Amino acid sequence: MNAIALLLCGLAAATAAFAADPSLVEKARAEKKAAFYANITAVEPILEAFAAATGVKAEYTRLSTSKFVSTVLTEHQARKLAADVLQAPLPILELLKEKGVLAAHRPAALKAYPAWAQRDDCIFTFGIEYVAPIYNKDLVKPADVPRRYEDLADPKWKDKIVMADPSSHATTISWLVGLKEKAFPDEEAWRRFLKGLAANRPMFVASFGPTPAPIESGEKWIAISMPKYIVTKAPAPLDWARVEQPLFGTPRAMAIAAAAPRPNAARLFAEYWLSREAMTILAEKVGEYVLHPGIFPPIAGIQTARVEAIRELPDEEIRRWGAEFKKLFNTP
Amino acid sequence: MEIRIQGLRRMFPAHGKVIRALDGVDLDIPARSIFTLLGPSGCGKTTLLRCIVGLEVPDAGEIAIGGETVFSSARGIFVPPEKRGLGMVFQTYAIWPHMNVFQNVAYPLETRKLPRMEIRERVRRVLEFVQLAGLESRPATRLSGGQQQRVALARALVAEPRVILFDEPLSNLDAKLREETRKELRAFLSRLHITAVYVTHDRTEALSLSDRIAVMNDGRILEVGSPRQIYFRSGRRFVADFVGRANLLEGRLRALAGDLAVVDSEVGVLRCAAREGLATGSPVTVCIRPENIRVPPPPEEADANRLRGTVESLLFVGESCEGEIRVGGRRLLVELPAEGELAEGGEVELGFAPRHALLLTP
Amino acid sequence: MRGPVRSPAHADGSRALTGGLVVLVGFLTVCPVLLLLLGSLSEGLGAFGRLTLSKYREAYGDPGFGVILYNTFVFTVGSAAVCTALALFLAYLNTRTNIPGKFLFRFLSLVPMMVPHILFCVSWVLLLNPSNGLLNLLLREVLGLASSPVNIYTLPGMILVEALLDLPIAYLVLAPALSAFDATLEESSRVCGASTRRTLLRVTLPVLRPAILSAFILVIVRSLASFAVPSVIGIPGRIYVLASHIYRLIATGFSPDYGQAAAVGTSALAASIVLVVLYRRLTASAERFVTVSSRGFRPAILELQGAKLPLSLAVGLLSFVLIALPVLVLGYVSLLPYSMVPGAKAFALMSLKNWRQVLADPISILALRNSLLLGVGGAAMGMILSFFVSWVIVRVRSTASGLLESLSFLSFSFPGIVIGVGFLWFFVFTPLYGTLWALLFGYIAAYLPYGIRPLTSALVQIHGHLEESSRVCGAGRLTTLRRIVLPLLVPGVVSGWILMATMFVRELSLSVVLSRPGTEVLAVQILRFSEDGLWGRLAALGIVMILISTSLVVIAGLVGRQRMRAYGLEGA
Repeated sequence: MNAIALLLCGLAAATAAFAADPSLVEKARAEKKAAFYANITAVEPILEAFAAATGVKAEYTRLSTSKFVSTVLTEHQARKLAADVLQAPLPILELLKEKGVLAAHRPAALKAYPAWAQRDDCIFTFGIEYVAPIYNKDLVKPADVPRRYEDLADPKWKDKIVMADPSSHATTISWLVGLKEKAFPDEEAWRRFLKGLAANRPMFVASFGPTPAPIESGEKWIAISMPKYIVTKAPAPLDWARVEQPLFGTPRAMAIAAAAPRPNAARLFAEYWLSREAMTILAEKVGEYVLHPGIFPPIAGIQTARVEAIRELPDEEIRRWGAEFKKLFNTP
Repeated sequence: MEIRIQGLRRMFPAHGKVIRALDGVDLDIPARSIFTLLGPSGCGKTTLLRCIVGLEVPDAGEIAIGGETVFSSARGIFVPPEKRGLGMVFQTYAIWPHMNVFQNVAYPLETRKLPRMEIRERVRRVLEFVQLAGLESRPATRLSGGQQQRVALARALVAEPRVILFDEPLSNLDAKLREETRKELRAFLSRLHITAVYVTHDRTEALSLSDRIAVMNDGRILEVGSPRQIYFRSGRRFVADFVGRANLLEGRLRALAGDLAVVDSEVGVLRCAAREGLATGSPVTVCIRPENIRVPPPPEEADANRLRGTVESLLFVGESCEGEIRVGGRRLLVELPAEGELAEGGEVELGFAPRHALLLTP
Repeated sequence: MRGPVRSPAHADGSRALTGGLVVLVGFLTVCPVLLLLLGSLSEGLGAFGRLTLSKYREAYGDPGFGVILYNTFVFTVGSAAVCTALALFLAYLNTRTNIPGKFLFRFLSLVPMMVPHILFCVSWVLLLNPSNGLLNLLLREVLGLASSPVNIYTLPGMILVEALLDLPIAYLVLAPALSAFDATLEESSRVCGASTRRTLLRVTLPVLRPAILSAFILVIVRSLASFAVPSVIGIPGRIYVLASHIYRLIATGFSPDYGQAAAVGTSALAASIVLVVLYRRLTASAERFVTVSSRGFRPAILELQGAKLPLSLAVGLLSFVLIALPVLVLGYVSLLPYSMVPGAKAFALMSLKNWRQVLADPISILALRNSLLLGVGGAAMGMILSFFVSWVIVRVRSTASGLLESLSFLSFSFPGIVIGVGFLWFFVFTPLYGTLWALLFGYIAAYLPYGIRPLTSALVQIHGHLEESSRVCGAGRLTTLRRIVLPLLVPGVVSGWILMATMFVRELSLSVVLSRPGTEVLAVQILRFSEDGLWGRLAALGIVMILISTSLVVIAGLVGRQRMRAYGLEGA
């Protein structure tokens, strides 16, 4: 009860604190709403707060990663793209930029962010889809919790791991490759790790979404998954393994559509999205790791964790590694 | 003429071949008579009936009913069945199982949008006529075969069509009921003075019901005539064979003398009834019906053909006895009195009049 | 086919109807598929470009593809066999015997259709996974085993769950056929001295062949396109079938290669077309199977005698497994904050929080309304179209009607994840894009066989004379359809409507690509919950979905029975 009251107070404060160029707000209000295409989920509270703060409605169209490019491109080519603002993993927006879908834009609110958050003239990033080993704290003894990624290859985890299918799940593939480039001393050590992991016969699921359920229910003990589930699935007995190496993930990016039907509302929305208020909601309610300095998800230990963006792999490379992991993990 | 059919053709593709169900049919069906299309299954008789009623669209030809052309390939006319004003009794009766007797019979009147009172009155009358009065509210699924047949008849009659068509209406009944219904049907139809076209493969049915019969085979009309003409005077081998039991003997015409023809046959020289259009020396078939053969031939018939043979088998069937008598290389079927004195293996003399020996062409 | 005469055949009207339907159905089903084929031949990036065969070379050059085809074959044929056998067993018991508790059967056969498929699979995983599946734990306890006796993550496991999921399709195709069956055929066999079992094997089953084949093929086609079982049970077991293989192709990389996915989908399409053609071949002589005429509309009831108890037990067990278990699991999950094995802790944590959240969520409520609208209205429109299409397929039986039958299967047989994109590519060119109408037409086009199958298998059994005699009695084609054919088809219409309505209420493949703000539907909302791992809310919404579908089914059943009674017919 207390927490909710606190949150409400915070929200009220946030609403009051958001200040944007009044002429932009006025023009945006004339446009009535902003259409938001996104793959990020559970962001409805931000959209409501946006409407409360600006009087502009935000209309949220949720597109999963696998349908994002095809839907947006199809609409774009038929001149029916209804989106004002697009949000997706960085590689997707880069692809769309190539096709001329995105408008050049630098939000003012980005000043508060690290310089690298603005990727180029169109795309800016605000968070990292961070990945970590998540375990069931009722089942895994504190002494057994992995301290390094290499520990996942320990035979004691045989038949106890769940992860997204490394032969097809793009984010998992990128993450595994990221480990090679950022967390392991050399490729040989990395390959040993992969062999050990494969020997533990992890159970595969289609994506990150289904990874926490087997941990919650105790079917599996440890998952290669996302710490944000500790927030969204509370009070499930989930915790993340504080590995010595950094946590890695794909940057979450955003841009404005070149043919945005409501360009002012689009800009206003971007400003609001990047505001401290919006990012606080994102971190606290959804458990997201955001780039806005000083804001962290309410997960113990995450403030001191190093979270790094991995290199975005081009699709061709993802497919090549996918095929390689298919062999390595002995997937038919 | 009530129905006039000219040059009617209908083809079906089947297994890569084309079946000529109707292969140039010309036919006149007179008004107020019972006209039967008789033939073996697959001869095209049902197709012809369905063309008349409009359920089948012919490929070529013309059909006129009561002077109105209902189909003409040349003029591009096709009147759909619901506009032809006919009545039909289907082989399966096609009583609608979701309606009761009244609803079934009233249906043709409802489609003609008659007033309610009139419908009720006419349905009552027709049900009385077919002796189903009182069964109005009986569900169609609770009717016996004979009752269904009568509901189907009532339904076909109720709108007082100018022509009523029957597609083997008795084939679904058992033998005894079939005989009774046949008589009843004959009585109904003669009281109505209506044009009826009747399709059957049963010769007894055809012969006993019809005013005129058309015998069909392979999509063609072979012969048209009264039952007696068809039975006794047919000149076609197929017709003679189909309409009744027949002894068919192959031979060659030797000479013609007045109304007598002399034929060299398998069983010797026979005197037969002469026919027009036959040249001496041409091959002919002699047809003798079993009931026309006498054993022994009565002495007063001086000009009868006389043959000797051996009784091979005797079969008692109640009202008579069917015998097979071997004459030369042939076995002749003979109808004998039930209380005969013949025995199997015995030598007999048999005979038949020249007028009972018909000459047939193929 | 009818030779040189033109005009009379036109006057006949059935050609115009056939032609019109071919154009309409063709437009709705061919366009998306054509766009997909074009996509599979294009170099473009999820869109169209220069033509190339490279997608096919890549897709079929994969050395692992043989294994996938083998798995797909075993999975689909296995599911179809198990499912059809089960449906036949249930439909026979229900329509032809005096087994008690008949009201159960309707639900028994329909519940799997109303449960969101993902959830149904998840329930089975909770029950039968080898680590801590409830049934496995129970069996280990009871039998004193060291390891779990059953592993759901196997081909037989997939077959079992898929067969249960597709049971409604098979049941709803078979039940009307069985209840319309002419009992005299069986009686005559019994009179000939054959035993009940022999009669069943030698008379009943062969006469039902079109309906059985229909059900079998429908289930094969359906399981070919199914994604829930391959993803929830297949992928963890590392058993890939066509659908999950396609998913893998799409998911690998950020700009999914729908071209290659479509290229793989073509083999599912080809398989389905072959099946449909085969089916038409096998049932070519429809007349041979005519069993309803005026005489036999009373299915005889078989006295079960000694078999009554064991059969009732079998049905009871099936009902428990099919109705009670998944619904219980759903109810249980909906009360929990996260998934856990039942126990004291689970009961302590139970609350109605998920329910409150779902019922307060405006998008969930909108989705509910939209799905209800699409279910009721879409199924009604779908049935009208299906009625005419079925009539043409059964009664006209020309080359064009054969074409129509194949067309109606076209988008149905494309794996769901791919066909959705086809419809996206299609509708984006129409003004319907982004409206509920796009969903409506998409649903009808993609699930037309659900309406057509029950109708054709019922129509085949209505003798053509019943219609012809109506024509001769002065009724036009439309009057005949309305007054004669429709009333006799009531059981088929009810079945088809139920299949379509419940399908539309839980439709996912098309909805997920076509639904936009304002046109959200239930299944998409459920998918969102599942993507976020919010199983509790998912279960709550799933139960709401089941309630909606149940009421639709009950209403349809009551209306159907009322119609039948009005026509003086009993049965179904």
